[in-house]
Amino acid sequence: MELLLSASDPRPMYQQIVDQVTARVMAGDWVPGQALPSIRELAADSGVSVITVRRAYEELERAGVIATRQGKGSVVAERADLPGALMHEELRRQIEALLATAARLGLGRDDLHRLLDDAAHDARNPTTPGSKP
Amino acid sequence: MKINFPVVRLLVIKDWQLFQKQLALYVLAGFVALCFIGLGKPWAFYVGSLMLIIVLVASACFSISTSLLVERKDKTLAFAMSLPVSPLDFTAAKLAGNLLTFAVPFVIILGGTVGVVLATPLPDGLVVYSLLVFAWIAFAFAVSLAVAMSVESEGWATFAMIGSMVLINPYLMALGQVPAIQTRIAQDAIVWTPEAVGLLAVLGGLGLLVLAATAWHHARKPAFY
Amino acid sequence: MTPAFSLSGISKRYPHFALQDISLSLPEGQVMGLVGVNGAGKTTLLRLLTGLAAPDAGEVRVLGHRLPEGQVAAKRDIGFASEDMRLYRTQSLRWHMDLVRRAFPGWDDDYAANLMQRFDLRADQPLEGFSHGQRVKALLLLCLARRPRLLLLDEPTTGLDPVARIEVLEALADVLRDERRSVLFSSHNTHDVEQLADAITFVHQGRLVASDDRHAFVDRWRRLLCQGAPPEGLSGWPEIASVRTSGSLVELKVRQWRDDLPERLAASGLQVQREEAMALEDIFITAVRSGAVA
Repeated sequence: MELLLSASDPRPMYQQIVDQVTARVMAGDWVPGQALPSIRELAADSGVSVITVRRAYEELERAGVIATRQGKGSVVAERADLPGALMHEELRRQIEALLATAARLGLGRDDLHRLLDDAAHDARNPTTPGSKP
Repeated sequence: MKINFPVVRLLVIKDWQLFQKQLALYVLAGFVALCFIGLGKPWAFYVGSLMLIIVLVASACFSISTSLLVERKDKTLAFAMSLPVSPLDFTAAKLAGNLLTFAVPFVIILGGTVGVVLATPLPDGLVVYSLLVFAWIAFAFAVSLAVAMSVESEGWATFAMIGSMVLINPYLMALGQVPAIQTRIAQDAIVWTPEAVGLLAVLGGLGLLVLAATAWHHARKPAFY
Repeated sequence: MTPAFSLSGISKRYPHFALQDISLSLPEGQVMGLVGVNGAGKTTLLRLLTGLAAPDAGEVRVLGHRLPEGQVAAKRDIGFASEDMRLYRTQSLRWHMDLVRRAFPGWDDDYAANLMQRFDLRADQPLEGFSHGQRVKALLLLCLARRPRLLLLDEPTTGLDPVARIEVLEALADVLRDERRSVLFSSHNTHDVEQLADAITFVHQGRLVASDDRHAFVDRWRRLLCQGAPPEGLSGWPEIASVRTSGSLVELKVRQWRDDLPERLAASGLQVQREEAMALEDIFITAVRSGAVA
């Protein structure tokens, strides 16, 4: 099994592995209980150092995406709502980033609400490119 | 210190395989030279004996230069040393290999020479004389091999090879000055004078001594670099 | 578990160069990248590990064998390929494979055939017809097909075209599958090292500058872009490896990141605007130029 990793991707390798495994689980490609390749197998197939894959697996375990059993390798975590839970986690991260940026710009809660309403409105009524928003 | 015979054998075979085609050519040239000598005519004799000496000298130098000097220059030495061999094994293989690649054509041509002398109308006294000549070549080979194994510089090794071989001229002249040897050449009988036997013994002994000293010196190195 | 190799207090003196007081070890199953400029001592270190050179002081142990006394036993399980190694030009790859097969245990014919195909090499062509890249791949094939427990490679990708380089890196990655096999490869191409190495060692001028697992380097080093005026003596701070200014923009390269660093910089009048990780190449160059430990 090979992941699609790229050296030119600005994210560090272990992060790419974490993101791709998470994405596969969120999309339902990999089901709860499904076995993951061993750390060494994945390292050899993807041409990445063992220590990097190990770190990625540790992060995935911390995030609750996979579970590692002593001596038996790793499997996708047995949580029925895992894809949904992961997506909520992703949303929460994005909201945090949003709030941080808004704070740096000095925007208050009302300004944020206004921006959200505008954005939602634009999403429903896409303007043609080149015309003024 | 023990020697890994299987690997040493492998190294010797390797060197042999690298040179066997050229060695065959040298032996062939040696036989052509012997044909000339066997014709019996004075001019053919001179041509043949000159050619014979050249062939012997060339094959001796060839053996040393390809197995040692070229290997250093071509950097294949590093590959050979990455095989599971110790410096001792390597030295043994080089010594054995060189002696083999020299000895095989040498003995064949020597046998051929003696055979030609005995079988043709040429005076049999030439047997002793030619042995003395061959002995010098073997001695020069031993010295050249010792020098080539001991020095890093290709230049010095080549100098030793050419130098010792070229000294055959004064050697032959000196032989001509010894009446005990000189008078026997044209006689049709094999006579082992004390001078001839003594000379053979000295050359043989010195050659062996030089090789043994070199081998012992090299075998004591713990590592190649 | 026996380490793949260990060097303790190694010194080696040559007329114009000396390795000084090197202590280094590699646990079994790991890949170590050795990084250094030309002439830093990488080749000498590798020679010490293959038993080709003996140290003036200190102890060398490889796969449990003491070198150079145990070099024959050690070399049976070591695959060594170096940049200045040449094969016999008049012979073919098949001749060399026969020689290696008979000299070493563990030759795998199927794997050799597989590598020949991946490397696009011809078995029966005299080697003098090979290009540089093909020669390097041939050398590697002769090492890899034996599946040695320790691979010592001196600049395996140097001078290779991009396609050959990837072929070599992919073949090296195969080694990762086996937890009993270890690799030490030297390179001045840090990208190769970054990808495959578990541990990274920097050498410079015959000394060990740093050795750590690769994440430790990446975690410790940061590049900061700050706004403000650098305080007096900033470049003397032990954590700071280099300082560059452009107007009121200040670039700092930090060798020892701590979470309280932005605060301390703010207290000295520098506001951190951006903080990013540094690539291994940059870490190496900065470490060498700042002349201190990485």
